[in-house]
Amino acid sequence: MFSKFFDWYENRHDYAKDWIKKTGGEVVGCFCSYAPEEIIYSFGLLPHRMLGSHEPQDVTEPHIFGMFCPFCRDVLAQGLKGRYDYMKGIMLSQSCLHLRQSFTSWRNHVPVDYAHYLYMPAKVQTEHARPYLKGELEKFTKSLEEWTGKTITDDQLKESIDLHNENRRLMHEVYDLRKGPNPPVTGLEAMVMVASSFFVDKKDHNAELKRILPELKSRSLDRETGARLMIVGSEDDDTEFVKMVESVGATIVTDDHCTGSRYFWNEVELKNGDLLQDIADRYIDRPACPSKDWEERTRFPHVLKLAKDFNVDGAILIQQKFCDPHECDIPMLKKYLEDNGYKSLFLEFDVTVPLGQFRIRTEAFLEMIGEEDLF
Amino acid sequence: MTEVKVKEFWRWKEYNWHDENKDWKGAETITAGVDVGSVSSQVVIMVDGELYAYSNMRTGSDSPDSARNAMNWALEDTGMALDDIHYIVGTGYGRVNVPFANRAITEIACHARGGNYMYGPSVRTILDMGGQDCKAIRCDERGKVTNFLMNDKCAAGTGRGMEVFADLLAVSIEDVGDLSLDVEEEPEPVSSTCVVFAKSEATSLLREGWSKKKVLAAYCSAMAHRVVSLLDRIGVEEDFAITGGIAKNSGVIKRLEGELKINSLKSKHDTQIAGALGGALFAKSLAEKQRKKGA
Repeated sequence: MFSKFFDWYENRHDYAKDWIKKTGGEVVGCFCSYAPEEIIYSFGLLPHRMLGSHEPQDVTEPHIFGMFCPFCRDVLAQGLKGRYDYMKGIMLSQSCLHLRQSFTSWRNHVPVDYAHYLYMPAKVQTEHARPYLKGELEKFTKSLEEWTGKTITDDQLKESIDLHNENRRLMHEVYDLRKGPNPPVTGLEAMVMVASSFFVDKKDHNAELKRILPELKSRSLDRETGARLMIVGSEDDDTEFVKMVESVGATIVTDDHCTGSRYFWNEVELKNGDLLQDIADRYIDRPACPSKDWEERTRFPHVLKLAKDFNVDGAILIQQKFCDPHECDIPMLKKYLEDNGYKSLFLEFDVTVPLGQFRIRTEAFLEMIGEEDLF
Repeated sequence: MTEVKVKEFWRWKEYNWHDENKDWKGAETITAGVDVGSVSSQVVIMVDGELYAYSNMRTGSDSPDSARNAMNWALEDTGMALDDIHYIVGTGYGRVNVPFANRAITEIACHARGGNYMYGPSVRTILDMGGQDCKAIRCDERGKVTNFLMNDKCAAGTGRGMEVFADLLAVSIEDVGDLSLDVEEEPEPVSSTCVVFAKSEATSLLREGWSKKKVLAAYCSAMAHRVVSLLDRIGVEEDFAITGGIAKNSGVIKRLEGELKINSLKSKHDTQIAGALGGALFAKSLAEKQRKKGA
């Protein structure tokens, strides 16, 4: 049922090249889930969030520090290896220094016509963040106008907002189905569904979501649900890891990842009479990346609510190695979840996943949260 | 040409044992745990919940073969056949490759359960110092895991590292611990993050004129430091016990106890069989449950 999403996810470059051919538009590579895709799309451009390929590589060594995260290296490697030779524009919505390094190296070493650095405020909790981000969005819009030679009307922007909101609502509907006792969607399918939405025209993505949703509601999977787990942490499109977890007696029923629920959780609400301000508010109010989630940790109650709503038995806290914002939060988050009755397992991603070592930890964790039958 | 005979200093004693006074024939439940570890394999056979036989040998390159060999050796001279065993649990890194196992359970759960049997229900923290990794395990009075931590992607602080040092210094692995304690002054530890780095550091220390004992002291101390930091992350609650091959190394254990300021419990059983023992105990519960279900 999810084969289209898997096809898009696995053949993202083919999709992008076909899209260019079909529409005559350009693809803009985005470096973070804070990229305001609504604006990019309204110019007739296709936003494409760049992910890694999970292969060992040797091309980023001169460009990125050894103690920067594997994800930022893997993303840059895709550019340096020429896999995005069709892509004319890139933009970064600032989240962390590691990804910023990938962006600046890309700008310097991979030929592009357009590169924009958008400063997404780090302290989203201050009242100054909203007008500030709106100003940044104005600058971004202006730079896209200069690059494309187009100007966009409010109607065009509104249409793009509606399309993106619809995509968010549809993915929510799929997530909602995972709350029940026998989820009709595996964690792997959900991961690929969200990840494919980074690459695909939301019109196509929405059409496919609308096609599968009625069938999905009555779908029964020929597998035991086992322990209901949530995954929480930094960038994560590690399908091999999810496959392994779901092969040892568990199902991932929800997540708090920027490659998962954080990406689509809230909509742009039209409430200010100013579309750019509405968009700015959406990105300020979305479930935060820990690099922006201070001084109050708003993520923690959000994660707890997810755990309760999706009826989870435990959480896997998984982060990219050297991802300081997550790493700093994890001891506190672990304790917070524990205090609220949820046990968790901490794991660290590298470019490739040491499946054997992760498997024993996962199995032991599952035995720990549900081994009553062994005694 | 004459062949040079090389002594394998790392080679530890492989053996089997069974209780000659026990008659297993009338037993209600016979179970086994098969622990195929990265370095060693053990089989423990229990008769009605009591230890009856075990074997301990080096793991070969093939996990199913290692499991078969260890099982055959445990059964040797007992008159018991594989078919007489009602339920078998596989554990260790080769747990899914034990051909005759009814179920696989992780060595983390098995060490907690085995530790509970070996050291009694008061044990709350178990440190398993195995062939290629270390596990700090917290458990309850039944030997159920409540929390655990493993070392990451590195063999320092493990049995394999100790074998490398035994060979480098041409000291029998069974003598390493006592020799390392025979130093007038405790030296600074060598690198604790990598066996290969530790080995090259040790080579330069030997060149500088350090005695073998002093180098061993520096390595045992590094191993102790490394696991203390693992234990610190999870917290040590007494009673505290150590399982795995390194538990037999007095040089590591004394230093570890000194740093923690806690004594570890001692057992009359071989610390290397804890995992297989836990497996055999789980097998007993599972066999009984299966029987009840069938009845």
